Amino acid sequence: MNILFAITTGILFSIGVFLLLRRDLIKVAMGYYVLFTAINLFLLAVGAFNGDVPPYTTMEGQGQQSDPLVQALILTAIVISFGSYALLLGMINIASRRFKTINADEVDELQG
Amino acid sequence: MELINNPLVLGPVFIPLFAAVICLLLSRNNRLQRYVAFWAYFVGWLCSIVVLLMNLAPPPLALTFGGDPASQLTITWQVGVQTYTVGGWFAPFGVMLVADMLSAVFGLMATTVVMIGVLYAVGCKDKAITYPAFMPLLLTMGGGLVGCFYTGDIFTLFVFLELMVISSVILVAISDNRLGLEAAIKYLLISAMGTLFLLLGIAEIYASFGTLNLADVANRLQTEGRPLLAQISAVALMAAFLLKSAVFPFHFWQPDFHTTAPTPVGALLSSVVVKVGVYGLIRLTTLLFIDEAPLIQQVLIVLGVIGIFFGSLGALQTYNAKRLLAYSTFGQIGFILVAIGWGSPIALAAAIIYAFNQAFIKAALLMITGLVSSRLESKSGRLSEIVGAGQQMTFISSLYLIGGLALAGVPPLNGFISKVSLVNGGVDVENWLILGLVVGAGLLTMLYMIRTWQLIFQRTPEAEHQFKPYGDSPLAPTVLIGICVILGLYAVPLIDLANTTVAQIGDPHIYIRTVLGG
Repeated sequence: MNILFAITTGILFSIGVFLLLRRDLIKVAMGYYVLFTAINLFLLAVGAFNGDVPPYTTMEGQGQQSDPLVQALILTAIVISFGSYALLLGMINIASRRFKTINADEVDELQG
Repeated sequence: MELINNPLVLGPVFIPLFAAVICLLLSRNNRLQRYVAFWAYFVGWLCSIVVLLMNLAPPPLALTFGGDPASQLTITWQVGVQTYTVGGWFAPFGVMLVADMLSAVFGLMATTVVMIGVLYAVGCKDKAITYPAFMPLLLTMGGGLVGCFYTGDIFTLFVFLELMVISSVILVAISDNRLGLEAAIKYLLISAMGTLFLLLGIAEIYASFGTLNLADVANRLQTEGRPLLAQISAVALMAAFLLKSAVFPFHFWQPDFHTTAPTPVGALLSSVVVKVGVYGLIRLTTLLFIDEAPLIQQVLIVLGVIGIFFGSLGALQTYNAKRLLAYSTFGQIGFILVAIGWGSPIALAAAIIYAFNQAFIKAALLMITGLVSSRLESKSGRLSEIVGAGQQMTFISSLYLIGGLALAGVPPLNGFISKVSLVNGGVDVENWLILGLVVGAGLLTMLYMIRTWQLIFQRTPEAEHQFKPYGDSPLAPTVLIGICVILGLYAVPLIDLANTTVAQIGDPHIYIRTVLGG
């Protein structure tokens, strides 16, 4: 299971970085989100497999409980990354109207 | 030693956040919003001063109310590192706010500059200031900033950092400058990389030690050996902090972002917000990764020297008065990084003094530039348009000159104190080559500040440029320049403060023992 997670995280990372380096701002935004998903998966892998049963349930005592903290961390990270993702999409929307393009190469008035 | 909660530690972080909520409720009354924001910061500022004083206070510190012994109420404060355990879960399980000397000094710097930034916003004529979301966002940015300094938990650091980043991104995106949006998108993407590295570092630390509390992590790093994963997390955390401070390989977003921001926001971004990374790097080398510190410090020296020269030469080249100051921030951060890299107690004290002084100088200079450019129709800081804009403003002109000289390190201003302590640090570690480069680069600062001052305030304006007779209020930069002069003439308290701080962070056991108890 750990190896599967490692491979999945790696693939997601590479997809995210690939998308982030695109010229199209929408694809860049998608890459942004995929990267955060990858890091959330990594956070989950850190503590999810140390136990056998979910914590704080009626299954208490039937085995080693898994770590609830990483799940709390991931929830927080998801909320934050989702918020900034929505903000990014909103800004790209305004930028597409203001600059009449979503090609990152053409939005380059700041130089020097 | 028993832990005592000090609610004042919450003040500088949560009063602004609470005031942000009130400001949102007052969204129809823009004027009232500004005053609520200012007074909220004022209270936060008082709290941060008291927190710093309580760090220094000699024991025992007890307040007694009421004369009658039966109804007497005695409050005893814990002296030294001030802590607050949020939610009553004790370390290392709960979230803690810890204000040791380093946090308190940086917190005082941040709250002072942010308070004066809000004061500038109160008298600012930009259109962006009138948006109902502006003041709440400024408040959350400041709250997140101080939260980064005060937190004792590495995941809470991430949360506060993101609060600060998202608020500042929106503030820049709604700037009067239409290019603010482009800079904001750029910064949000770049800072996401920093966040990613920070989360990666946090996950690696959690995987190695199963804890997120800074003191507990430091304790385990010392007692339980160093797994490879924890050492990798040092790299990830360092990358994240370097990115937040806009140091050389991760710098390219900074001039855009700081130039296009509304004036009060740009002044804060370029003075205190970049200090989050500096604070993080000091913590990294003095608390967490002490064994790896020599390696980290060597990297910091190299990056610092590159930053000094890149920033100074960039400032000489550029076409915009605000952008010039943003480039100069590279150089200033470079000086601080070199001082952290030298790593001896004297050099670390120099880093703290430099960071403290630079925040006031840079905020003042950016505010004055913004003040002058607010009289232009385009409100841009372009040197071709701003030429001669300040010819009639004798007072503002002298303020800018004082600020510029302070930045270049001319006595008797506070920049001189920073430069002297920096040279002291360099002599202490006998790193002559780097010291020579650093002092030489300091002269470049003089060159570009005087050149810009002449351009803005001494030249006769070209005939086709019309300047408005009114602009932003000069109150805030006057206060800041006043602080710069006072800190230059009467520098002993700051130097003592820096030395006490370094004595405290020189022994990480003080921090660990206070947080973990025992």
